[in-house]
Amino acid sequence: MSKKSVSPAKPGNQPQPDSRRQRLREEQQRVQRERRVRTILMSVAGLAVVGTVIWAVFALVGSVPATPSAGSVDESTVVIGKADAKVRVDVFQDFMCPYCGQFERANGADLKSMIDAGTVRLVIHPMSFLDEQSGTARYSTRSANALFAVYKAEPDKALAFNAALYENQPEEGTPGPSDDQLKALATGVGVSQAVADSFTAMANESAVVQATQSAFAAGVNSTPTVKINGEKFAGNPTQAGALKAAVEAAAK
Amino acid sequence: MSDVLERVHRFRQTNGWLFGTMIFSACLSLLASFVLSVDAIELARDPSANLACNINQVISCGTVGASWQASLLGFPNAFLGLIAEPVVITIAVASLAGVKFPRGFMLAAQVVYTIGFVFAYWLFFQAMYVIGALCPWCLLVTLSTTLVFVTLTHVNLRDGNLFLPPRAQQAALSALRLGVDAFVVVAWLLGLTVLIISHYGTALLG
Repeated sequence: MSKKSVSPAKPGNQPQPDSRRQRLREEQQRVQRERRVRTILMSVAGLAVVGTVIWAVFALVGSVPATPSAGSVDESTVVIGKADAKVRVDVFQDFMCPYCGQFERANGADLKSMIDAGTVRLVIHPMSFLDEQSGTARYSTRSANALFAVYKAEPDKALAFNAALYENQPEEGTPGPSDDQLKALATGVGVSQAVADSFTAMANESAVVQATQSAFAAGVNSTPTVKINGEKFAGNPTQAGALKAAVEAAAK
Repeated sequence: MSDVLERVHRFRQTNGWLFGTMIFSACLSLLASFVLSVDAIELARDPSANLACNINQVISCGTVGASWQASLLGFPNAFLGLIAEPVVITIAVASLAGVKFPRGFMLAAQVVYTIGFVFAYWLFFQAMYVIGALCPWCLLVTLSTTLVFVTLTHVNLRDGNLFLPPRAQQAALSALRLGVDAFVVVAWLLGLTVLIISHYGTALLG
């Protein structure tokens, strides 16, 4: 039919099947194109999901901390002072815990003088439950591990190192001192370089885990928890002098 | 494979999926807000919590609970969720039942929820990088707020409720047809996952 080739010179007098067909064809092409783009986008997204899952599994499995080995409870505490001291003071602490820092500032000097006088045998339980506060830096574990390392090699430096760690306590939510800064803190209070260098081997990580778990098992539910001869100290742990008075009462 | 993707794409455009997801996510968000509100009240009621780092507390040290981020407007942030999420649930249920809300109303909902969405992400980054608390309920709020925001935006773009200029509206509709929204959401959630895992590591497992 001659109508098939409508000349553009005579517009409007007929419905234009060609242009309608063309529009239909363009519409189909558009749908096809959109479908292709969708398939590509979704495939890329799917691959990304699979990749992320694989990455996550490796990231999590690859960094699971060592499980604690069976050992005596004594291996998970830092004991300072004479064995025949009249009063045993247990301190459950985490180096990331701001109130443990306040406790140390309020009572550190009192405890040291009572240890020196032979009145107090201090038993520190360095815990790591606040690790998440420093993210993957795990400051609680690293600092507690360092304290154990000092205690095992040079026990007479342990109390001073404990105090130095609190003096340089990081804010919650920050990674805290780096490994090198921990070493510098240790050598600053007289710890030998060789012992400081041993921190990064993390040889005491299982002791830290054990200290944390045995504290949980003993019903400790907050830090600092202080016990005097096994009895929970009921006074204000961050008020200077309160602990000293309670210890002196127990020593009588 | 391609057919399955097409079917998924069509299903994502249905009211059932959009409002269903909105209802489900808003309920999760409401639940998390409720738990966090109860925690905030408990924390305020127990003065001894402010002298120690509690081992089983959601926010484990009292200093963090007292941080200004935890109650930006002078009251616990979670109260905002208790106020806002029931409105979302109401809108979604009514829409699912066939109610057509006025454009201005939906625009207002979009504006308010966008503010909430930005606030949720601000809190998320504060919790992760400033407060340092690993808080599963807060993560749930972040996730469910995202899903509500995405579905609400999808509906409002589709129905032309945002008073966009015609060309922007055309571009938005074409992006929805291409499934760009799903792509962005998947990428967004994957990015979040990577951030969370690389920041918290194995603390997530314990």
